[in-house]
Amino acid sequence: MLRFIARRLVSSIPVLFGILLATFVIGRLIPGDPCQAALQERATPEACAEFNSEYGFDDPVFVQFGSYVGDVFRGDLGNSLQERQSVTDLLIDRLPVTLQLSAAALFIAVIVGVPLGVLAGSRHNSKTDVATIVGANLGVSIPVFVLGLILQYVFALQLDDTPLGLPASGQLTAGVIPDPFYEVWGIGHNSLFEFISNIDLLNAVLIWRWDIFVDALQHLILPAVALATIPMAIIARMTRSSLVDVLGLDYVRTARAKGLRERVVITRHALRNSLLPVVTVIGLSLGTLVGGAILTETIFNLTGVGKTLFDAITGRDYFVVQGFTLVVAIGFVVVNLITDIVYTFLDPKVRVD
Amino acid sequence: MRQRRIRWVSAFVALGLVAAACGGDDDDSAEGDDEAPAEGGDFEAQSFDESAQCGTDAYAGNLASIEAVDAQTVKFTLCNPDVAFPSKVAFSALGIFPEEQLEDAASGAIIDSPIGTGPYKLEAWEKGSQIVLTANEDYWGDAPGIPTVVFRWSEESAQRLVELQSGDVDGIDNVGTEDFATVSNDSNLQLIEREPLNVFYLGFNVDKPPFDNEQLRQAIGYAIDKDRIIDNFYPEGSIAADQFLPPGIPQYQDGAETFTYDPDRARELLTEAGYPDGVDLGVLSYRATVRGYLPQPPQVASDIRDQLAQVGITVALDEQEEGAFIDNANTGALSFYMLGWGADFPDATNFWDFHFGVGASPQFGTGFDDMHEVLTEAGSTVDEDERADLYAQANELLLQHAQAIPIAYGGSAVAFDAAVEGAHASPLSNERFAVMSEEGADQLVWMQNGEPSGLYCADETDGEALRVCEQINESLLGYEVGGTEVEPALAEEWESNDDLTEWTFTLRDGVTFHDGSTFDANDVVASYRTQWDAADPRHVGREGLFTYFEALFGGFLNPPPAPAG
Repeated sequence: MLRFIARRLVSSIPVLFGILLATFVIGRLIPGDPCQAALQERATPEACAEFNSEYGFDDPVFVQFGSYVGDVFRGDLGNSLQERQSVTDLLIDRLPVTLQLSAAALFIAVIVGVPLGVLAGSRHNSKTDVATIVGANLGVSIPVFVLGLILQYVFALQLDDTPLGLPASGQLTAGVIPDPFYEVWGIGHNSLFEFISNIDLLNAVLIWRWDIFVDALQHLILPAVALATIPMAIIARMTRSSLVDVLGLDYVRTARAKGLRERVVITRHALRNSLLPVVTVIGLSLGTLVGGAILTETIFNLTGVGKTLFDAITGRDYFVVQGFTLVVAIGFVVVNLITDIVYTFLDPKVRVD
Repeated sequence: MRQRRIRWVSAFVALGLVAAACGGDDDDSAEGDDEAPAEGGDFEAQSFDESAQCGTDAYAGNLASIEAVDAQTVKFTLCNPDVAFPSKVAFSALGIFPEEQLEDAASGAIIDSPIGTGPYKLEAWEKGSQIVLTANEDYWGDAPGIPTVVFRWSEESAQRLVELQSGDVDGIDNVGTEDFATVSNDSNLQLIEREPLNVFYLGFNVDKPPFDNEQLRQAIGYAIDKDRIIDNFYPEGSIAADQFLPPGIPQYQDGAETFTYDPDRARELLTEAGYPDGVDLGVLSYRATVRGYLPQPPQVASDIRDQLAQVGITVALDEQEEGAFIDNANTGALSFYMLGWGADFPDATNFWDFHFGVGASPQFGTGFDDMHEVLTEAGSTVDEDERADLYAQANELLLQHAQAIPIAYGGSAVAFDAAVEGAHASPLSNERFAVMSEEGADQLVWMQNGEPSGLYCADETDGEALRVCEQINESLLGYEVGGTEVEPALAEEWESNDDLTEWTFTLRDGVTFHDGSTFDANDVVASYRTQWDAADPRHVGREGLFTYFEALFGGFLNPPPAPAG
């Protein structure tokens, strides 16, 4: 197992290097001048000459890339040209927001999508099966921003004064500023602790503030549901089709022939094998959610990775584009690695191989 | 012998203790004139006299000296008269800080944690999420109606409206154009339109042919249907411009004569100009950047092109990158262009003098002597009736020379929960939350377009930052709630000499900063000096540009040398 993990890690290095190179090149290909974007009306030729010299934009491209790679290995992702922060600090602020949202969305997608897929797959070609497929197609087809707006209209406006009312924003209630857990515990402050404290749900648990936990949860429901719809539909469809395939195999026929109840056949014999491709889809979905939540973040006013990346691209903030893309890519690689490890536990054949 | 030794040692120890008790702080300022007076002790007045630099090549500014006459009196001396001085002094970027915090400017703490005298103090700034202000319990004026104000932000007008409608926020800025009716028709909300304080215009460089032809410029003025542009491309509350000053400026003239839409008159003037069969004017330059005075630049440019074509004038559209466009405008490189202006401070000089006065921007060419004469006199006259007559003359001269064709004043609006009392919209976008109240509410949540970059507003130009700053830091003077008239603030009265070159402010007594330190004239001197002198070690901010100070007073002392070309 360790050898397997090590092999996968080593094979990830060229992938990450390729991503570094790709994001660097793409960033430089974006039309527009970072000096003009950063300094705007103060972007005189003299000011831009100084700006480009300060940030190395007047060096040859390969020199810029070499500097950037060297800085990355030293843990320096550079400073944002637009914000008054280092890229690392921005990541500590913004990534937890997206991770929390993505994890919540994935949780909803799995706990709804897998049972739906099992229900549809176990009743193949029935009305239940058709209804599930139609629902899944609908979920995939509705744009996230449309669904988000509908959810806001229904739950934040129409049901506002009812028990079903939910907030329109994904942020905590205005004026609520939870203490970071490391301050409450009286332990030292470092970047990792700060990162963790920016995950509102987790921080609320760590400081034993259930009122804040509930507040964070209430604000998370609508954006998480909006974001979960597409992966939920994909997971449901994948579970269904995978289960249908497995239920047609000889060993399942044997299990039925032995007189086992259908529920036992599905849950104890068929489901585990049918989850193998679903695990892959879940892993890919998490990576997609982290990098692609821009619309959800915009609608629910969350400042996460997606929105930051969008602002950085339009603002020609090269270091933020490069740094955030690299981190998301690393996240993808890690998620894929975890997915492969989970795979080995689910499928003994992979373990033996 | 031993006893003698003991006596000597005792004497030295005693001397040492006395010296330690009388010693100063470790962080004494480098210059003696920056020392802060001891609390309750003698006041050591500070003053800076740089009048010798007035009119020299090294100094382009208009401030000559700042003097703390006593603890409650500050006197400013100018190189040249400035009738708008009180209006400038009231501006947000000239908020007063404690001298001690300015001494520490290099640490950057002042950017994130400003200390002021205002009705609110900064409680917390959660970057990316919210800014929380709490009431200043020792405020010199009326206590705020609501103890806590929370600032939030969203770039999307639809998002702001949803949060207002759902009750998550109590007030929002910049209601979307399409949402005015929604807010007006909702009995739970109140829509408050903001009086326009900007102007959109077509400009000409009168030195560049064919725009050196006055009748041609006038013809273009009569060819533009302003109402059509307003109806199609501007939000409600926008008004067709009838002069260069917008209605929110005190010197605005009711009923001024202006270019009206008259295609026949336009064709007549074209013929008189020597173009009976029409003319190709080359390009109409503009930038795509959205501004309050121009919310849809490409669409407006296209419409103007089409309107000019109706009278036989042909132009091609020339969209330029923002930085390049401004640079070209500022150097007079543009011949025919779309541009606008938003008030920095509510006085006619901010519009007229900057564009058409002596030493004005070269965007319009060399200018006209008759206009220079009228504007110079208007800027030196205190009597408002005389100023009104002079600016009426300026309007007529602009109608004649037509260096610019005013087109529109861009409107906007704010919206509040109907239960908020005292809700208002400021033409300068500096809503004062301290005068608002809501029964049973201990918190008011305001949602604006964006997050401030910093809260040291001496070095900020973004309205999102200035609005927050204004709740925390006060200037010597202020603007009336919801208006532009100047009123007392930290100074309870002010006066000038006859030629408007000396301005003396009497400060309020008993005012304290949020950190408990006493406000006095030295804080005023330090706050101005910090911005004024580019060589001052305290001349440090988020960007270190202090743009508004330079714009209001003409320049810095000891400006940094221009970068080598």
